[in-house]
Amino acid sequence: MPKVNTFKVTVQTGQQGMSEPVHFNFNNHKMEFQNVSGSAEPGKNFEGNFEVNSFAHSLTLIGPESGKWEIEKISVEYDCENEKPYTVQFGAITLDESTEVNIWQDPPVPAFDV
Amino acid sequence: MNFIKRIFSGMKQDVEPESPAVVEETESSPVAEEFSEPETEPAPSFPDVRRVLQIPAISESIFPENSDAVLIKAQPSPTGDQCLFTVNRSLMNGHSWYFVDFESAAESALAEALFCLEDVETVLVCECTVTITRKDKTLVDWVSLAKEVGAAIRGALEAGEGLIAEKIIADMPSEDEIREGIQKVIDVEVNPGVAGHGGNIALMAVRGNSVTIQMGGGCQGCSAADLTLKQGIHTSFRKAVPKVGAIFDETDHTAGLNPFFS
Repeated sequence: MPKVNTFKVTVQTGQQGMSEPVHFNFNNHKMEFQNVSGSAEPGKNFEGNFEVNSFAHSLTLIGPESGKWEIEKISVEYDCENEKPYTVQFGAITLDESTEVNIWQDPPVPAFDV
Repeated sequence: MNFIKRIFSGMKQDVEPESPAVVEETESSPVAEEFSEPETEPAPSFPDVRRVLQIPAISESIFPENSDAVLIKAQPSPTGDQCLFTVNRSLMNGHSWYFVDFESAAESALAEALFCLEDVETVLVCECTVTITRKDKTLVDWVSLAKEVGAAIRGALEAGEGLIAEKIIADMPSEDEIREGIQKVIDVEVNPGVAGHGGNIALMAVRGNSVTIQMGGGCQGCSAADLTLKQGIHTSFRKAVPKVGAIFDETDHTAGLNPFFS
């Protein structure tokens, strides 16, 4: 598992949004994003990052405390130690008070042409 | 022993200042309320346990579209024990096949070409991929062998002969036969074996003769899961159901709550 220096999340909200602060779970620690811009209101884009400097076991985006959050697209930019920065895109999902979604993905395995 | 007693007496002293406040509350309450006290106490607050949803990442094509040339990417596994080759052509449509040795590759031009390479141990062909294990387990650098494998795959494709023997395709078992055989070996052999470590294996899907499994309980997140999968489960599956092809593991090992060897 790599050591994550920072990661940045961009979430595109669909028709149903939320006005609560966006939280994430890193290794089961619930936290708020830093350098937040935009919002999770319907049709809006939310951006936030976090300086982690720790080894990743799990990373999830947490659903709202009440209501539903309809997400159209999630993009996560990872900057990990000894790895090239990489971006992972996820598709549509709806979160609520009982759910969170996994957004962690290991760095891509190096590949070469033969 | 005295040291241990001192430790416990020290702990007791730390707790004692808080207890009178509790005693005062109970003493001031009527006797009848004392009995009902456990019901009125606030429940301990534990963090909410949410269900973790999994959505597949959107992958972008690794090859340029509409290329006439045969393009091959080599991707060694992180442990270096095998290498995945992805080709921009279909090698085997809808099915997969595991070649254990040169004899099993008879009349399959692709596998024959690969077994002609000295260090190739086994060959798994699935859709547009080939997975190779090598004989020399001490080598983890795949660059040299990968180039030879790439040339062999390209050569077999350009020759245009039957990549996979017709007999293999004709005798391919149905999904039901594969499902029944794999489920039986899971129930009779695999699960009783991993139960000792609190683990379990579930058959999630069968597509053609390829199967997808999920590891749960003590196997999920276990540091020995890769070894269990490759040396235990693969071996049992292939022994009991020789015509099983690719075996995929879709376990999210980062979400394991009670791994045996953590």
